Amino acid sequence: MRQLFNQLISFPYFFKIAQISFPYLFLLSILIILLGVLWGVFFSPVDVTQGEVYRIIYLHVPAASVAQSIYYTMVIASITYLIWRIKMAGVFMISMAPLGAIFTFLALFTGAVWGQPTWGTWWVWDARLTSTLILLILYLAIISLFSSFDRRASTDQAVSIVVLIGGINLPIIKLSVEWWNTLHQSASITLSGSSIDNEMLIPLLISIFGFYLYVTAIGMRKMQVEILKREISHNWVKEIFKEKR
Amino acid sequence: MKSFYFKTFQRDSKVYLSRSSSFLGPIVFFLITITLYPLAFGSDEEKLAELSAGIIWISILLANLLSHQFIFNEDYKDGSLDLVLASGKSLFLWASIKIFVNWYFSSLPLIFLSLLTSFMLYLPFDAALILALTLFLGTPILSMFGALAGALTLERGNIVGSSIVIPMCLPALILGILAIQSFKNEELFFYIFLLAAFLFFSIPILIASCLGAIRLHFE
Repeated sequence: MRQLFNQLISFPYFFKIAQISFPYLFLLSILIILLGVLWGVFFSPVDVTQGEVYRIIYLHVPAASVAQSIYYTMVIASITYLIWRIKMAGVFMISMAPLGAIFTFLALFTGAVWGQPTWGTWWVWDARLTSTLILLILYLAIISLFSSFDRRASTDQAVSIVVLIGGINLPIIKLSVEWWNTLHQSASITLSGSSIDNEMLIPLLISIFGFYLYVTAIGMRKMQVEILKREISHNWVKEIFKEKR
Repeated sequence: MKSFYFKTFQRDSKVYLSRSSSFLGPIVFFLITITLYPLAFGSDEEKLAELSAGIIWISILLANLLSHQFIFNEDYKDGSLDLVLASGKSLFLWASIKIFVNWYFSSLPLIFLSLLTSFMLYLPFDAALILALTLFLGTPILSMFGALAGALTLERGNIVGSSIVIPMCLPALILGILAIQSFKNEELFFYIFLLAAFLFFSIPILIASCLGAIRLHFE
């Protein structure tokens, strides 16, 4: 187990594994997302209260779930980096932050598209929406930190400090936004109010699984690019590209 | 023989007082921002009274962003930060003193000014006192987050620091506003205590991460 971990955090080994597994993972994730979304859009029953519109749930919920999970994995990576100085954790954070921003934006966008017909507006200052917006801003702030240092190690450390503080702060922000919200207005529709039917749940779960696989695949690819940027002058990189030629 | 920490305190205070830009800058900025709101939203008394607590909180939050670059930046430029790091003194205490001085000269005057400006914005006096109390508990949090942002971007003071600070400060802002809005019922104490808890919770974490951020410029 320990040996496997040590191998995975070494750049050349990870690069090779990612190189081999990326095409399969990517294709598989696309297939699973297609299966989940197509099943959801064409074969699952129509929602009684919302009609056909609700079908955007098959994009919205997976995107929102992935957007939050990426942040929590980044918090784990930041702790790993700050304690053990594992370079791979820095590579991981820097590769995943843009993905997190994209998926948070996707969640907000699909939410707005869904909200227009059901709530009557594109945007509500609801607790969940507001904290998702703050998550997006946090991702963007972290990305903007990438270029403010000359040395890679400093960037990694600065990013991990901000990610960690943000990780501690995020639950507090969420709680305080909820308190703020209950005083101002009550949420118009809650998801927990209506339990989801099995026939809708299964394609949704498939779609969520597909999104996670997709993020894993793309994340691996981005990490490969980041590793190449850092190790471009090392021998193992030159050897890999010699073999190809 | 005065201790190292007391001297740091004295020196920083002198630096703040001797330069009008660092001392008056936040005050002028605060006053001009306060003036902008009635100009933009109209001088309607009821509307302003409703908005006033939020206006003052936001203006102070923005004014704080102006001063956080000063905390560690000059010590970094003139090299005294290297000496402090090498001296083996308690960095935690040293950083706390520097942040305290920054808070004392850039936030405390604003808290007193907020009492004055709340009259101009038609906030009732008892609510204004609560506002001052929430600011008293909230502005140290802003200063510490500002210090963290300043420490992270020592080499190039830029907008990055501010964009990191503002989302992190949101709980302080929300709790402060909630306390003022519920100043007539018992929930007031709930929010005040939460704000105080947030303050005491963030002191060790933020100052420690400030030191981490400073060290990464010397690795």
